[in-house]
Parts: sequence; C-alpha cells; structure tokens
Amino acid sequence: MTINQHRLLGLLATGLFLLLLLSMFTGSQTLPLYQALSESLAGSDSIPAIILTEVRLPRSLIALFAGATLGLCGAVMQSLLRNPLASPGLVGSASGAVLGAVVALYFGLAGHWPGTLPLSGILGSLGATLLAYLLAGRNGGTLSLILAGVAINAFALALVSLLLNLAPSPYAVQEIALWMLGSLANSSLQDLWILLPGTLLGWLLLMRLGQALDLLSLGEETSQSMGVDLPRLRRRVFLAVALAVGSAVSVTGAIGFIGLVVPHLLRPLTGHRPSRLLAASALGGAILLLAADIVVRLLPAQTEIKVGVLTSLIGAPFFLYLIIQHRRSHA
Amino acid sequence: MMIHAHSYTMTTPSTLLCLLLVLALPGQAVAETTSPSRVVSINLCTDQLLLMLANPEQIASLSHLARDPQSSFIAEQATAYPANHARLEELLHLQPDLVLAGAFSDPRLLRQLKRLGIRVEAFPLTHSIAGIKRDIRRMAELLNRTESGARLIDELETRLARLQSKTTTSRLKALFYQPRGYTSGVHTLQDTALQAAGWRNLATELGIQGYAPLDLETLLQAEPDRLFTSSHTPQAGSRAQQQLQHPALQRLLRDRPIQEIPFKYWICAGPMITDAIQMLRAVYDH
Repeated sequence: MTINQHRLLGLLATGLFLLLLLSMFTGSQTLPLYQALSESLAGSDSIPAIILTEVRLPRSLIALFAGATLGLCGAVMQSLLRNPLASPGLVGSASGAVLGAVVALYFGLAGHWPGTLPLSGILGSLGATLLAYLLAGRNGGTLSLILAGVAINAFALALVSLLLNLAPSPYAVQEIALWMLGSLANSSLQDLWILLPGTLLGWLLLMRLGQALDLLSLGEETSQSMGVDLPRLRRRVFLAVALAVGSAVSVTGAIGFIGLVVPHLLRPLTGHRPSRLLAASALGGAILLLAADIVVRLLPAQTEIKVGVLTSLIGAPFFLYLIIQHRRSHA
Repeated sequence: MMIHAHSYTMTTPSTLLCLLLVLALPGQAVAETTSPSRVVSINLCTDQLLLMLANPEQIASLSHLARDPQSSFIAEQATAYPANHARLEELLHLQPDLVLAGAFSDPRLLRQLKRLGIRVEAFPLTHSIAGIKRDIRRMAELLNRTESGARLIDELETRLARLQSKTTTSRLKALFYQPRGYTSGVHTLQDTALQAAGWRNLATELGIQGYAPLDLETLLQAEPDRLFTSSHTPQAGSRAQQQLQHPALQRLLRDRPIQEIPFKYWICAGPMITDAIQMLRAVYDH
C-alpha cells in the first residue's frame, strides 16, 4: 500500500487546492466569481467582493489551518503515545483551550485586546496538558497519561458548562454546543489573525520531530537507548500541540474526530512511519475539514448544522469500521 | 444511600404540610364576577399588563424578571411589589386568587396550581397590534377594570394614528439582525413595528417565517439600507454578539451603523410597541 512519499503529498496538496477553489464557489448564494475577484482586487466595496473576501475567504482559510492543525497534532500524539486512540484533545489540550477561550470571551477579557482570546486559549491548553503531564508523573507510562487526560477533559468540560451557565450574557448557554462541537460559520479575517500565530509556532516546533518519532515507534526503551530523550520529546510535543490546538480551538471550538481519523486513514499509505505521516496528516486534516464545511454550507437546513456535528457523524462510524478491521486482521 | 434516604424523609412531610395549609385556606374558589384581590403574575408579559391595568392593591406579586431593567419596561415600578420566581411553594405562600402566566410557563406548575384550586390564566404570544389590544381587553376584564383597559387602548390607537399619518410612499429596506444571526420575518412583533414605521422588512420579502437565522451571504445580497438589532445585555461578551461586528457588515453599512432598539420593547407585545415604532420612524426620517 505504501506509495512514494512525494507523490502522496503532491496528490494531497492538489486535492486541497481544488477543494479550496470549490470552497470559494460554494455558499448559500451563487456568486459571479470572476466579477467578485476583479472587484475585490480593485478594492471595491461591492457586495460580491465583500462576500468573497470577508465571508468565504476567511472561512475557507480557517478550515484549512484548523483542519491541518488537528490532523498534524493527531498524528503526532498517536506517534508519541504509540496509541492509535490518541487524538490532539486526549491530554486535555482541546478542552483546556475551550475553557480558556470561554473565560476570556464571556467574562469580558477578550473585548480589550484581540490577542486575549488566543492567549487564554493557549494558556488553558497548556495548563490542562501540564496538569495531565504532572498527574501522570514525569516518567509515567502512556496509560497513566491517557487516564489523566480523560479525567482532565471531563473536568474542563464540566467547568465550561458551569461557566457558560453563569456567564452574564443570555446567549452564552446556547453556545455550549458551538464550543463542544465546533463551527466555522461567520468567521472573519480577524478570526484568522487570531488563529495564525500560535498555530504556525506550534507547527514549527513539530517540524523536525519525525526522526525521533520514528525511533520511538520501535519502543520506548529501544528509542531511549538510541539517543531519544523521551521526557524532552514529550514536553516539546505537548507545548507545540497546546500552542497549535489552543489557538485553533479558541476560534473554531473543539472539532471532533479529525485528529483521530485522518492519521488512521493515511498511516497505511505512509508505510507506518511517523516521519512521513505528519505532513500527510496535516494535508489530510485540512482536506477533511474543508470538505465537511463545504457540505455543511450546502445542506438545506434552515439553521446551519455545526461542522463538528458532521465530522463526528462521519468520523464515529468510520472509527467503528477501523476497529472491526483491526479485530479481523488480528483474529 | 443514608443521606439520600434522609433528605427524602425531610421533604415529603414539608410538602404535605404545605399542601394541607393551602387546602385549608378559605375563599380560594372566588366567584368570577368579583375583582381578584391577590393577583400573582409569573411571566414578564403579564407582569407589565397587570401593572398597567390593575389597581395597585390587587397585585400580590410580580415575576423577578419585571425588575430587570434590560427586559422589563416597568423595572422601576415593579420594585414596589414582592418578586416571585415561579416556584410552587413560593406561589402558594402568596395565597393568590388569580395566577397570570405566559405561553411558555412551566405547564407542570400550572397544572399543580389548578389542581389546588387556584385560578390560572395563561396569555398566548402575540405579534400584532390587534393581538395587543385583545390582550389588554382580556387582562382588564380579568381584573374587573374594563375602563382602564379602554383608556389604554385609546391611547395606543391615538399614538399609532399620529405615527402612521406620516408614512411615505418610497420605502427603504430594513432588516432586524440579532445576535446569532437571527432575523424577524412574517408574524413577528418586529415585522409589525417596521411596517408601521414605514420600512420594508427584507426578512418578510425573503419569505422568512417568524424568527429564523439568516445567513450572512443572503443578508449581504439583499442589501438592506439599515440594520436594527436588539441584543440583550449588549455589554456582555458572547460569540452570538460578535457576529454583529462582522467586518463584512461594517463594509456594507459604513456610515449607517446597526441601530440598537432596546430589548425591553420586543420581549413582550404591549402598548410600549408605540415607543419602538417611534424610534424606527425617527431613524427612517433621518
């Protein structure tokens, strides 16, 4: 099943580019795209130009960056914990980020400076991850780390519900679903600027980890004997995931299943080598989220279905299928 | 388990006691012709009508929402009366002879009250001037205050006639755009008020029924001349309210910012609608 790495990445990148184009064509209203493009390049305030640059472009780019972050971080976490059930949110990064974002947004902190929202998302993410790390013990096994993550996730989400119930805005309670399931509707370029710095910094930190993760796949002890500093690797990955997922989640909410499913899908194609899986998963995550968001825009429901509902609807059965496959091949 | 069993035995006798007390109260089956003397309202909309029409001695309690300056048109006057939170025991202590409720009051609570022999009157939601007049008339009859009802309807009609006499022929396009992207189409109070103030309501023209979300692209292509909103607690943060600051809207509207019409005019259909119409009219003339 393994195909040439460059060819795989090329295919995925082409697919992503085509989807991005499709995404600019897709909305509730048909748009004269050429006219919209020329008018927005001319800096005109015509309606098609506004729709193209202020509605469709930010939404598509946010889907791209958030999806890539989820795919990439999912692949990294699965490789690091050597557990196929790991997802970017497993050690609390996503729920911690939601908690941070909720505190900033509903209790009046986010109004003062636009950087407050992603920063508190990142802080929440870091805090939750750090707590999971400490709870599991500095040299704790993978299992204790996962269990600590489960506990912290549950606790963080309970706090989110509590805070939204207590928030001074009457709209807050209705937004629980948005934060737990994720949505890209009505995002603006401001949201993109909020998301980008932390996300890119996180990606940068993850860039040259492929080799260490490859060695880790041979087993923790083997990899350590070959020079991998496991605690250090873990710290770096946790920091990067907190930065990237924290910023993305502050804008989109916790979008489920992308970080879990995408690495699974691509692992056989990359010869089960983490170093190859990372870039492919980033592209795959972007493709999946963008595609899901395009479908959401086309669904005829009067109230737009949240994109996270769709990714979970597709993701959960697919995941079951993977489990059944896995059972058969090991029977 | 012990704790559970204990708390259980604590509540049952007290509820029973409460029920017994109420059943023992005299004069709960008041004849309908006499004026009710202990009226309790558990809904903001009935709070407002009650306060406008009743003799102050008739009012035993208003809902706690009546004191909220964001929602209530009568927040200041309401502080003169005890507030209730629509809880059964609390209501029973007030010994009401008439409980006024809204369309969305907890039906279990209303059933309990009726079972205990208390008269309950629920007012439906309304969105038209005719409905407002009907509610006023009904409330006045319930309170045995028909003259003050007639007076209030008179005032309403006079003010409306004065506002509508100025309606022009060329009409500008308006749209209500609420946090979370909701708009008000056919059969809404906002539609009634916009039309009365001389605006075209784009939501109605787009075929929107009632309150429904309107997506940003459709809004932009409809090119409204003016957007109105009435966000509850505008100073508190939420994703819902951020939507009103979307850069696309700012580019569309530029020097015509979204106009805020306070929430208290819309939350209930009542005579205060004329104030809202006057505000909409002022923006139109501007």
